[in-house]
Formats: sequence, C-alpha cells, structure tokens
Amino acid sequence: MSPAPDLDIRGLVKRFGRFTAVEDVTFTVPEGSFFSILGPSGCGKTTLMRMIAGFSRPDSGDILIKGNSTIGLPPNRVAANMVFQHLALFPTMSVAENIGYGLRRRGHSKSEIAERVERMLERVDLAGSGPKQINQLSGGQKQRVAIARCLVLEPALLLLDEPLGALDLKLREQMKVELKQLQAKLGTTFVYITHDQSEALVMSDQVAVMNAGRFEQIGTPQDLYYRPLTAFVAGFVGNSNRWRGTVSAVGAQTRYAAEGGFELIGQAVSGLSVGQPVDLFLRPEAITLSRGTDPEAAAANALVGNVQSLLFDGGNSMAIVAPDRGGGSITVALPQTGDLADLTPGEPVRLSWSAEQVTGFAAASAA
Amino acid sequence: MRNELLRTAAVSAVLVATMAVFSAAQAAELRLLTWSGYAPDDVVAQFEAETGIDVEVTFSNNEEMISKLRATRGAGFDLAQPSQDRIEGPQVEFEIYKPIDLSQIDTSLFIPSLLEATKGNTTVDGQVYGVPHVWGTSGLVVDRANAGDVADYGDLCNGSHAGKVSMRLKRPVLIGFAFSMGMDPFAAYSDPAEYEQILNKVAESLIACKADVKAFWEGGDQLISSISTGEVTAAMAWDTGGWKLNNENPDVTFVAPSSGALGWVDSFVLPARGENDEAAYKWINFVMQPEIAAKITGAAGNFTASQGADAFVSDTLKAQFNDSFPQEAIDNINWYPPVPAGLEDLEGRVLDRIRASG
Amino acid sequence: MSVAALPSEGAGRAGLRLSLILLLAPALLWLGLLIILPHIQLLALSLKVKLGPRLYETGLTNYTEFFAESIYWSTLIRTAFISIAATALTLLIAFPVAYYIAKMIRGRRKNLLFVLALLPFWVSELIRTLGWIIILRETGLISLGLQWLGLIDQPVELLGNDAAILVGLVYTSMLFMVVPLVTVLDSLDDTLVEAGYDLGGNGFAVLREIIIPHAMPGIVAGCIIVFMLTLGNILTPALLGGKNSLWFTDQIFQKFIVRFNWEQGAAFGFLLLIVSSLVVWIGLKITRQSLASTMT
Repeated sequence: MSPAPDLDIRGLVKRFGRFTAVEDVTFTVPEGSFFSILGPSGCGKTTLMRMIAGFSRPDSGDILIKGNSTIGLPPNRVAANMVFQHLALFPTMSVAENIGYGLRRRGHSKSEIAERVERMLERVDLAGSGPKQINQLSGGQKQRVAIARCLVLEPALLLLDEPLGALDLKLREQMKVELKQLQAKLGTTFVYITHDQSEALVMSDQVAVMNAGRFEQIGTPQDLYYRPLTAFVAGFVGNSNRWRGTVSAVGAQTRYAAEGGFELIGQAVSGLSVGQPVDLFLRPEAITLSRGTDPEAAAANALVGNVQSLLFDGGNSMAIVAPDRGGGSITVALPQTGDLADLTPGEPVRLSWSAEQVTGFAAASAA
Repeated sequence: MRNELLRTAAVSAVLVATMAVFSAAQAAELRLLTWSGYAPDDVVAQFEAETGIDVEVTFSNNEEMISKLRATRGAGFDLAQPSQDRIEGPQVEFEIYKPIDLSQIDTSLFIPSLLEATKGNTTVDGQVYGVPHVWGTSGLVVDRANAGDVADYGDLCNGSHAGKVSMRLKRPVLIGFAFSMGMDPFAAYSDPAEYEQILNKVAESLIACKADVKAFWEGGDQLISSISTGEVTAAMAWDTGGWKLNNENPDVTFVAPSSGALGWVDSFVLPARGENDEAAYKWINFVMQPEIAAKITGAAGNFTASQGADAFVSDTLKAQFNDSFPQEAIDNINWYPPVPAGLEDLEGRVLDRIRASG
Repeated sequence: MSVAALPSEGAGRAGLRLSLILLLAPALLWLGLLIILPHIQLLALSLKVKLGPRLYETGLTNYTEFFAESIYWSTLIRTAFISIAATALTLLIAFPVAYYIAKMIRGRRKNLLFVLALLPFWVSELIRTLGWIIILRETGLISLGLQWLGLIDQPVELLGNDAAILVGLVYTSMLFMVVPLVTVLDSLDDTLVEAGYDLGGNGFAVLREIIIPHAMPGIVAGCIIVFMLTLGNILTPALLGGKNSLWFTDQIFQKFIVRFNWEQGAAFGFLLLIVSSLVVWIGLKITRQSLASTMT
C-alpha cells in the first residue's frame, strides 16, 4: 500500500444558508508537493482553506491529513498550520517569541525552544533577528517569519492564504521564487491559495482551478495552460482572445463561425454538434504576425488588418490589430526580435495560426 | 508681540468680569437658602404677586448652609435659615451673618417666648443675629404594636428589639443618649473636658448597642420606608417623620422620650454679604402672618413661631401633636443651646469611633 | 528648559514660540485656574493649624493627626483596598462583556448591546443605587424571591455590608471599563486570534499571550478610570454600606461640611491624592505601561 497522501479531501460541501460556498470538492495532495488552488475572489477557496485548518466545519465530506480525519478537531489540534493573508504576526511579541509561540504551547523547555527558533531563523536567512520587534522588519522578512513560525512546528501541511497579496509587485516577484525554493529545500507540503495565476503557475507542482465552489480542473501548470478542459479555465489561466460563435461543421476538423463574420478552424472536439453556440479561445502568443497584406489573406485561420496600437512591455509586448473584416480587435504577442521591432500603428499586417491553437467549448446553455 | 499678550490677558480678564456681573443677583430678587418645605410653591407665588420680588429658593441643611456661606464669606444669598443654635458659633468663628434690624420686623407676629429665647441665643457682642421661624423636635418614632415599650432613647438598646432599631449617626443621637443616661450635655457645652467625658460614656454605650442597630439611617425617606415595611420598629428621628407614618399606620407615631425630646428652632439670618435686606425683611414679615405660617406648617409638618397660626393648622396634625406631646412632654423638651465653636469636631471623632467599631 | 535661550536664536523662532504660547493659552489657563490654583490653595489650607476661633498657625498637625488617629488611616487603607477590589471585579466582569460586544457579534446587534451597556447611565447614580437598595434590602426582591422559592424561611438582609458596596461600585463603574475595552478589542485583528489557535494555542493561551497583551492599554486605562471613580465615590458607599462602613471621601466631606474643619479636610484631600497617584503609579509599573500609551 502506498503511504497516505498528506491531504485527502473527499466530497467536501459547505453551505452558508442557501448559498453553497464549496460544492463537492475532492482532491489529494501528495507528500512534499506544492499545490495551489487558483480562483477569482468569492470562488470558495478561502472557505475551503478554513475548513482544512479547522476554523470551520464542512456540512458533509471528509478531510484527512496523513490519513487521519480532522473533522471535529479544533484548529489547535489540526496538523496543518496556516500563513495568513496579512501574516497575523503577533505585534506584542519579538520575532523569536513569535516563532517560539507554538513550541511554548507544546511545552518544550526554554533552552530547546531557543535552539529550535534560532535554527529556524537560520533556515529562512534571518539569523540573529530574534530580538527584533515585528515592526522593524521589511515586508519580505515578515513573510519569512510568518512561514518560519509555522514550519518550526514541523506540520504535515502548510496552508498559505494569499500571503503575497499585500506585497508590492517587485517584492512579490522575488518572493515567488523564494517561496518555491524554500518549499523545495524544506520538503514540506504547501497548499497555497491565490487569485493570481502567475503565482500559481510559477510555484506549483499542481494547480486546481476553482470557480463558484467547484474545482474546474486539476493539473500541472502546463496542463492548465495548454490543455484547458473548460471555458472558464481557458479564460482564467493566461491571456486569450475570446469570441462567441457557433459550430458550422464537424469532422476531422471543427469549423466555427465567430461573431464578427470570420471563420476559425480548430481540432476535432467530441460532443459538439453543428449550430451549437460555443466560446472560442486563441492565445496571443499562438498567432503569427507578419508585415504587409498577403494575397492569401482569405486563407483559413488567417486574416489581414491594421495595427491599431502597440503595447510595449519589454518581453510581454503586444500589438492590437483591427481586422479588415471587422469582428473586434485581436491581441497578438509581439516578438521583440527581427524586423517587427519597428512596427508602427496603422501598418497593414497579416495574422495566422494553426488549428491546434484554436480551442472551442460549448457555451453555457442560456447564453 | 508683548502687546499682543497683554491684550489677550486683558480680554480674558474682561470676560471673567462679565461673567461675574451676570451671575450676580438682580435687584428685585430674594435668594433664599432654606430647608425643603419652608418655602412652598403657593406661598412663594403669593409673595411674588404681592411684592413683585422674585424668590429663588435653594434647599439645604444646617451644615451645608454654614459651609456655603463660609465658602463665600456670607455672599450668594439674601436670607438663610440655620437653626438658632448654629448662629452664634459660626458667627464668632467665620463672621458670615449680619445683625438683624428688629425695627424692620413686625415682632407682634411672633410668639413672644420663642422670639425672646431666639434673640438671646443669637446675640453676639450685643447684637441680635436671628429670629425664630419653624420649631420641632427629635425623639422617637415607634411602632406601638411591636415596640410599645420604647419610651426613651436608651430603650432602643434594651435588647428586646435587636436588629429592628435605627438611628441617625449624627450629633442628636449623642445628646439624646446622654440625657437618657441621666447626664446633661447642654450644661457641659462650656466645658470641653467634661463634654468629652460625657461623649465617651455615650460612645461606650452606643458601641455596645451597635449589634442591635439594623442601620444608621441617612435620609428621611430611607427611614420612613424601613419603618413602613416593618424592617424597623423603633428609631430615633424627627417628629414630622413619625406623624407622616401615622397617616398611613395608626400604630406608628412620634413619641417624646421620657428624658425629653430635643427641641430645635430654625430661624432667619441675614448673610453677611446679602444684597437685598429689604426683600428679606419683607419675606419674614410675610411668612409670619398666621395664615401663611399655617401653610408652611402644612408643607413642612412642623409648627412655627407665628402667633395664632395654630388656628389655621389642620386638625389631623393638631391631634397628632397633642397625642405625642402632653403638656408635661412640652415642658420637658430640651432646647438646643448655641453650639460653641469647635464642638462639631469633638463630636465628629466620637461618631467616627462608633461607626468604625465592631 | 530653554525658554531663556531665546536671544541667540532668530526672530522667526521667537515668533513661532509666541504663537505656540498663545495657542496653548486657553488650555494652560484652564489647567492653572481650575486645577493647579485650587490645589495650591488647598495645600496652603492644609498647613494651617487652628488654635482657636480665627487664630491659626502654620504646621503639619493636620497631617500628623491623620497618622495618630487609627480611624483615619485605616479608613483610607480600607477605601483603597475596596476600590482596588471593585476595579478588579469590574475588569473581570467587563472583559467578557466587552469581548462579546467587540468580537462575537456584528452590525445592529452590536450597537444594540453597546447601548444596553450604556442604558444604566441614563438615570442618575442616586436612582441606580436606590434600585440596588430595593433589590437587596430585607423586604427586597431577592429576599422575597428566595422565601417564595422556599430556599430560606427567614427574610435575609443583603444590604449594609462591604459586598453590597462592591456590587454597587462595580455596577456604577461597568461602563467606564467596557468602553475602553471594546475600543481596544475592536482594534484586535481577528486573524491574530485565529493564528494563536492555529499554532496550537488553546483558549487560555490565546487569551493570555495574544488578547490580553493587545488589550493592555485599554485594561490599564479602564482600571485607572474605574479606580479613580470608585475611590472618589461618596454616594454608593454611604447608601449601600453598613453601620460599620467608613469611606475616606465621606470623611473628607464630613471634615469640610459637617465639622467646619476645612484645614484637616484639605490635608485629607491631599493624602487621598497621594495614595491614588501612588496606586496608579504602582499599577503602571506592574503592567509596564506608561500613562501616555494608555491614553492613545
């Protein structure tokens, strides 16, 4: 028998009155992995997290940590510790007292606590900061103290509730890398919730995308990005050009008539029938942009238009192109190499893409 | 810059002065410092209608009146009503009153014996400082159905009513018990050493009695409610309290103690820095008219020094008075002589000792 | 300090200082006229020793008499101890109430409860105390209720003892403890409490290590207010206290009003001021708070 996973969630449901916050969520997190739950605010991810930590009790379903159910246990007896969104460091205690808090609760001797706290501080590169007050620390240092405060207890599971949310952009980028490295170094299982797809994609081994109380898809970051299973995932993870449309033909390839009057050709998708309304996605970086109007402009999965505007953002620069045929604007990733570097607004361009890059999902029935 | 500062100071000074002027009395006003019941609304209204003088009444008691006048060196009021035994001492010590011009007062309105006695008791350096107004007594309020045997102060402590007796821990209790124990504290007023000896004996007996005392009452309402609920069956108190209770329960009434009720006379005095003596004299002459005096007796429950006012007093009150005071009890009243300066402090220590004991 | 060091500095600084003085003038005047000046007068009065009518000398007799007469100093000690006990009891009762109002409920019910805590203060202290008399007296509600239930067969007197004084004082002081506590607990981040539990703390540990340290300024502020109010209270001990009950403010009142001995009353007033300042100072030292931190 393989060892029990660190976290095993089975059919979890939580309702508040008539509102269902978490609806039949099931997943497992293997030992030592970095697992993220990604979703927009209000999707139920915080409720889910609070149930795992023991702060609220599910209406049905089970939570097992290392094979033991935690249902009914108070938060101080659940073998998971939590890094709060605003860190919740105790302002009336020094850094060392913050980190030693959990150890004191367990009744360790003073000398042992001091020793373990100091070792923990070293591991998060804060050696010697023990006597400092919390308000003397920088944002990143506070982050590390919050994590150290949990990890010193050697929990089976570390829960992180959007801990980077309060940091400025630069520090957030840096902390992403740091957190990932820290997790790899320590080997503790991290369950990380966020609404920031970049955080989830960069750090995680596995990501669950959550929407309206349900898990839409669980997979590696690559799975979610390249092989989204639902329209929500396709739209939420990464940037996409998005159209409404209908299925115009099925077969070896699926043909779609997009709103605005142009045709998209995608791979065969089972379960779609002619005339069915669909949502269509095409990633900006999957589109090839070339200068000038080609005589083959009318070819499949290609169109001509004019550059409407250029959004320079270094490596993430984009061009917005208005197709001649109408149908709104299309965002195209702009490689900063070669002759496209001096593209100017108003220039005629040609766009093309392969059928593999076009993804279509049946639209929600009412739409 | 310095000018600016000076100006600020000047403005402040003007402000303070203005406030002082506004708070001072208006000419046609009588500021009366008296006991509750001594200036009933209808009497005040009638006086204002007849004289055009506004009356501003402040209710108080002996100690507060003296303290207030002492704090302002006799200012703030035009007429005050301390008891006649509290005029000479405070006057000697604090100079808070001014002499009364008896020619301004219609002395024919007064019962002559009371007027003469009060004049005698309030004379300092040959000048008269007080004339009498309302008189009454302290003695015993007894529920005759349950404590009919209580006839003197000392009987409160005879043990047969343990836990059901009450008294006010103030100077009258010391004096009453001294009389009850066969001593004469008034005669010892002039001899502090002897007076202290008397007080020590009284304290000893009161401390022994303390276990029997249910509570030392503070306010009249408190005493009346504990007697009407039956929590207390005998107490040392004022006569009016007993008569008030008698209206509801015929068993309860005021009993003049066999060693003598303690008689007091609340009088009229002019505060040293009063501003409207004319109005004060008018008020005295007004309230001493028999019909008006009877109204005050109706409100306060005590009789006045007004000659002939008895004719206008209600029959109930007269009956209650006669029931409590047969002629020999009236003759037996121990009238408070003037309290010499400094006596209160001596008594205060004894009272403290009694309270702290046990 | 350096007001005299003006000449060496620029005229601008001088102007600034003058405007500062003018700005502070009303407060200083208020402080001077209403607080400092009367206290100086009181101090002078307390040093006057009465020899006879209108005859005084300067001396410490008024103070030495306080120590010579055991009733005086034992009353002061007793008053201070009961006040400390009342303060502690008020804190003990007010803390859960304040915690409930600040943390356990939200919105309209929170306001309602807060108003409910305020409600007793819409009637005068006298009426409130009389209410307690009606409840506690021998023929009062509790005595009658217990008899009716058959728990006692004799009326029971609950009035006129130190416990009754404590009840009255605690009730009177409640609001002054609840308000600063609610304010300080309101500012406690809920996630700190959750973090306290999450890291293995039980309710007691969270209370001791997180909630109380956070609430300390409010606790100290509330305790100072309640202690001062209780120490200075005169009505409640007089009405609810028994025949043995002496209260120091009542002694001061007696000295001033009944016995016309202002000199000793002033001395007693100063002694009370010294003792209350001393107790507050010791309290601040023990809790390691400063007066400034509790007032912000």
